[in-house]
This record gives sequence, C-alpha cells and structure tokens, in this order.
Amino acid sequence: MNLTLTTTREDHLIAWLTALAVTIHVLESTLPTPLPGIKPGLANIITVVVLVRYGIKTAIWVSLLRVLIGSIVLGTFLSPTFMLSLTGATASVVVLVVLSQLNTILPFISFGAVSYAVFAACAHMAGQFFMAYLLFLPHPAMFKMLPLFMTAAVLAGILTGIIAGTLLNRIQTQDVSSTNNTSNTG
Amino acid sequence: MTRTDYIVVILALCALPWLYIKYWSTNDTATNVIISTYDNKKIILPLSENKTINVKGPMGENIIEINNNKARFINSPCPNKICIHSGWLEDTNDVAACLPNGVSISIGNRHQEFDAINF
Repeated sequence: MNLTLTTTREDHLIAWLTALAVTIHVLESTLPTPLPGIKPGLANIITVVVLVRYGIKTAIWVSLLRVLIGSIVLGTFLSPTFMLSLTGATASVVVLVVLSQLNTILPFISFGAVSYAVFAACAHMAGQFFMAYLLFLPHPAMFKMLPLFMTAAVLAGILTGIIAGTLLNRIQTQDVSSTNNTSNTG
Repeated sequence: MTRTDYIVVILALCALPWLYIKYWSTNDTATNVIISTYDNKKIILPLSENKTINVKGPMGENIIEINNNKARFINSPCPNKICIHSGWLEDTNDVAACLPNGVSISIGNRHQEFDAINF
C-alpha cells in the first residue's frame, strides 16, 4: 500500500522552526542551573521570533511541538519534568494568544518582542509553579519560593526578549537588502 | 524596544518587590497541633494550652508535650528515638514523626493532607 502525505509549505516552515527550537532546548538542558525550574529559556527566543514573523498559529505549533520532541530527545517524556514543561508552555501560549489578539485589536499598544518574552516567561513560570504545587508539593511553604522563581522569569524574559528583538531586526535588514539585491540584478 | 516594551519591563520589575513583600513578610503563626495516629485518626489541639498527651500505637505509647506554643515528643517506645531527637516544633508546618509507632505531629493553622509527594 502506498501512503502519500501531502505537506504544505507551512508544514515545512513549522518543522524547520521546531527543529531549531528543539536544538536550543536540548543544548540548554546541559547548562547547570542554580535551582530546579530556573533556566534562561532560550527556546523562548524562537517562539517570540516566530510569533512576530509568522503569526500566532505557527508560534503555538512550534512551542508545543518543541516541548513534546524536546522531552522525547531528552528522555523526560511523560515524566514530572515533562508535565511541568508542558503546563508552562501551554500557559505561555495562552498568554501569547491574548497579547497578539490585543495587538491586532488595539494597534496603538504595539507589544514588541520584549513584552512577548517577559509575559511568556512569567506565564511559563507561573504555570509550572502551580502545577508543581498541585502535583508534588502542596505545602504552603512552597509559596516562599515564588518570588525567587518570578525574579528569574522576569530577568530571563528580558534577556530572551532583547535577543529576539535583535534577531528580528537583523532578519528585517537582511530581507530589505536581499530584496534590494534582486531588484538590482533584475 | 517599543514604548510598550519599556512599560511592560518596568511594571514587571515593580511587581517583583510586591511578590517578595507578599510572600516573605507574612508570618502565619501556628495555632494548632495536629497529631496523626496509627489508625489514621487526626487529633487537633490548640497550641496555646499546655498539656501532655499519650497516643497509643502498635508498639506502645508516645508521650507528646505541648508547652509555651511549642510541641515535642518526650517519650516513645521506638528503637531510634528520632521523633524525640527532632526536638521542639516551633515554626509553622514543622513536622516530627515516629514511624515505627505510626504517630506524627505537626503544628500549623489548618489541616494539611500531604506534606510532599515524590516520584
């Protein structure tokens, strides 16, 4: 039996971007962390760049596929780490949907890459924190950790946001120069 | 960075001290002693009342003392006496347990079902 799968250009785009995000996710997992749950979240850069360049739908795909494939590569699929990661990613995706909708409805707000990254990082942290609280440590003392976690999330969000913003600027100038080149040659 | 980005960053940085104040400055003082026994019974006693309680378990009797808003095991039939060596429980959510005799005590202000779950 012959099975043919037709793929669209968008599928290829999502696949490439997800591969990029997974690579960053896996590389980052080798970095040492001061506390479990705290990490720079560099894969967030890809999510933000994709959101600004290709829209929210592609960003949702890339973000959730990244968590799924990243966990399979790292061997944490369906483990507690995976649950926390998935909850965090889902929370940040929900926040990004709201923000991008706000951006289209009220254009004067104009959230940039840094806003997206900060909100996404905070939502990710809040999501995984409450999942950890519900699943593993339902103890009031857990909330003493929340300020530390959120500080890390805000700093990581600003960092990844600035990187994503720089990246977006470079892509844009490259686009402009490449279209100039083609017009020159053509 | 757009103007909104600066506003978002400033708001986020302002929200952080609020989190620290909210979660690090509360001191919810313990008001109750919660004693769990071998047969899954919970005995809840006020921490303000000085008294000594005997709790029965499969190995014998644990003696628990409540004094001056603190609680501790003062006698136990178990071999290692870890519960006694835990000393006074004085901070909220402190726990001491005598596993061989199935008795644990904790101090807090509400009933807590789990202390921690691990995989």
